Amino acid sequence: MITAVRKFANLVLGRGEATITVPSLDGALKPNQRLESAQTVLECPAPEDLASDGDALYIADGARLLRLEGAAAIEVRTFDRPISALAALANGGLAAAFGNEVRLYSSAIAQNADAVFGGGSLNAVNSLTSMPDGALIATDGSSTRSVDDWARDLMELGCTGRVLRLEPGTGAIRQLVGGLGYAFGASPSGNNILVSESWRHRLVSIAPNGATRVVLHNLPVYPSRLSPAAEGGFWLTAFTARTQLVEFVLREPAYRRRMIDEIDPEYWVAPRLSSGHSFKEPLQGAHIKTMGVMKPWAPPRSYGLVIRLDPDGSPLYSLHSRVDGVNHGIVSAIEHGGHLVMIAKGPRRVLKLPLARIAEGLEA
Amino acid sequence: MTDIVLSLAKATKLYAGVPAIEGVDFDLRRGEIHALVGENGAGKSTLTKIMAGVVTLTSGTMSVEGVDVAPQTPLEARHLGIAMVFQENSLVPTMTVAQNLFLGQEKFYNRLRGIYIAAQQFLQSLNFDVTPTATVGALGAAKKQMVEIARAVLNKAKVIIFDEPTASLTPEEKKYFFDLVRDLKKRGVSIIFISHALEEALLLADRITVLRDGKHVVTADASKFDRARIVQAMVGRDLSNTLYGVRKTDVRAPGRRVLAVQNLKMAPMVRNNSLSVFAGQITGVFGLVGAGRTETFKIVAGVMKRDFFHGGEVLLNEKPVRYRVPAPAVQAGIVYVTEDRKVEGFFETSSIARNIYLGLLAKFPKGRMLLSKRETSATGSTWIERLKVRAIGNEVKVVELSGGNQQKVVIAKSLIQEPELIIFDEPTRGVDVGAIVEIHELINRLADEGKAVVVISSYLPEIMALSDRILVSRQGKVVEEFSALEATEEKIMYAAIH
Repeated sequence: MITAVRKFANLVLGRGEATITVPSLDGALKPNQRLESAQTVLECPAPEDLASDGDALYIADGARLLRLEGAAAIEVRTFDRPISALAALANGGLAAAFGNEVRLYSSAIAQNADAVFGGGSLNAVNSLTSMPDGALIATDGSSTRSVDDWARDLMELGCTGRVLRLEPGTGAIRQLVGGLGYAFGASPSGNNILVSESWRHRLVSIAPNGATRVVLHNLPVYPSRLSPAAEGGFWLTAFTARTQLVEFVLREPAYRRRMIDEIDPEYWVAPRLSSGHSFKEPLQGAHIKTMGVMKPWAPPRSYGLVIRLDPDGSPLYSLHSRVDGVNHGIVSAIEHGGHLVMIAKGPRRVLKLPLARIAEGLEA
Repeated sequence: MTDIVLSLAKATKLYAGVPAIEGVDFDLRRGEIHALVGENGAGKSTLTKIMAGVVTLTSGTMSVEGVDVAPQTPLEARHLGIAMVFQENSLVPTMTVAQNLFLGQEKFYNRLRGIYIAAQQFLQSLNFDVTPTATVGALGAAKKQMVEIARAVLNKAKVIIFDEPTASLTPEEKKYFFDLVRDLKKRGVSIIFISHALEEALLLADRITVLRDGKHVVTADASKFDRARIVQAMVGRDLSNTLYGVRKTDVRAPGRRVLAVQNLKMAPMVRNNSLSVFAGQITGVFGLVGAGRTETFKIVAGVMKRDFFHGGEVLLNEKPVRYRVPAPAVQAGIVYVTEDRKVEGFFETSSIARNIYLGLLAKFPKGRMLLSKRETSATGSTWIERLKVRAIGNEVKVVELSGGNQQKVVIAKSLIQEPELIIFDEPTRGVDVGAIVEIHELINRLADEGKAVVVISSYLPEIMALSDRILVSRQGKVVEEFSALEATEEKIMYAAIH
């Protein structure tokens, strides 16, 4: 009874569970403009994911598979549908996901797949990771919505994400963990697997027996794909930042229902990969006093962020593209050829920053 | 008429046979600003209290304009033209500015309108921006000080003594205060100025007198001093480099996030404030008075209760917490070392040991049925030794200690609670330089041990010397963050003001 009264009071007074807050970008996440200084390697229509086998860097661009050679991108092949995730295999092969299907090829140019996973057990595979034992780890963001419909999954408070282990030898698919708030990206971490859970703004570590432990709580962003760093630790991408406006809308089911039914998804009050294209975009009003003058500003609808994590998953420093930048919607970052290569899905660019100088002046 | 307005010769004051000052010679010239510096316990306050008639000399002589005097009360001193502006101001908070100005000079029949008009004219003549009808309790520290100064000038003071006048002022207010003091000097008023901020003494004073252990060490023109020389004279050793002089070349890496404050609001002081504090680091929080720093951290520690409608969230180790009183916060591992130790820090008539032991008792959710005298004494002795509290024994009352040692007792009272997050609010305000070094060492040691440490300070050199990361607060929220390696005084001040 007391709990019910307290819950009601909290709801009325905007306290406790009803508080709408967003953590600050500070400490290792202190904003900078480092992503804005990144070199644009390539502009392409629909970049989605990156994979490196050590020698070649592959780029998934819609249905096309590109290989980066120097400053030029060479089209390796075209698939029958858009690629949703990519991974280089230890045996020199390539794995590609197409939402509800994962295909394994002996090489990037092999016409026929060696193994195909799908058949209704997959829905929105958005990242693939090759494990040392030859298995593949796939994160399936949602069991109900497709890869491109991620914003709807968020607005429906989806929690049907899964982490799956695909066995190339047997063709078996084993679910390691389910019920995740949009699983989006995984990386091996010792015997465990580190997984991004976007809608719950956290990283979880999954043990071989399926036990989960939260490694990084309450991030101010929506985390996405992870990749290992050569010096130990990880690169974590975040495709956009949280705002109080979106957090507020996520507490309002009736509003969301009407918004989903009546408004063009482009103009939903939801995070986006890029913004500033139309006056119809929703804005969160805010203000800040600068030089003694009260100035309006808008918290970002889209944002660009890559976080360097140590082996324990703690942030060391971060690379940002802020509200006044363009390199937003970073969904993939991997080390290749002495550079950190990234995909900025907002401006549809492939970016790179030299690893040797990346942390200059950033480490706490 | 002699050039010396006030002088003391061989002035000695004994408290229970123990000399607070001994054989001190001091003189004050007409229209000069004379800084009086020394460690806490050096005898500065005693010397000035003698001049102001608060205490009387045990031996020695005092003269005003060549005439031997011995004021027995502050009123007698005021009649001699000596006024003192105390660190804790002596205004009546429930009265208006005008009533405070004319307090003690009321006529048989007082017309408020007349008092207000007179006060208005007088304040304007001094160029003081204070409303005479405002209640003093509602004024900020700077304005209260203006009222104190105005009262002294109104009483035709020839000598005004300021005890730590800038301790609670913002940098901008300090600048204004210095202009006021210089203006008083032009009017022929002599100023005695006690301050722990040595830069202020060097900047403002014509002459500086250094006291140590109740004895006069040196008096010379301010131009003959620099910071190092003053410090050496004060403590008998060179501390200037270990205090604030060395710039940080290395900072501690952040550990896990211990505290997250998210969109915290409590009008009018805290406005949508967000910040994080990490383990194993010193997070310095700088801001002008009124920037909402203290209020934010008082809310975190349960020292200040939030109203029903005020929003935001405080997360300790990623779990939402909301403390209405300090006890549960202490049990959860948060301690707040107050900026106002005399009011909130200790029971001044209790012994050191009892005060420290009270800190331990606060750690237990339901207190204790029986208290152990032996444990009290042992705890007191342990912490006196650990924090190098200079006292004859652990049964000494806290009121009898110097400011630095009182602060150590307050810190001991907090550290005995084995906190995870320690919030120091102005940790060295009113503390002598010797104790400052020791307190800074202690704060650094806590961060090295992996504790999350917050240092709130209005003193930039202190923030720069201690912090690994610096948060700048303005108008109720953190507006800028600097790594100690990139921070400069100019950058921090710019962020705090603009």
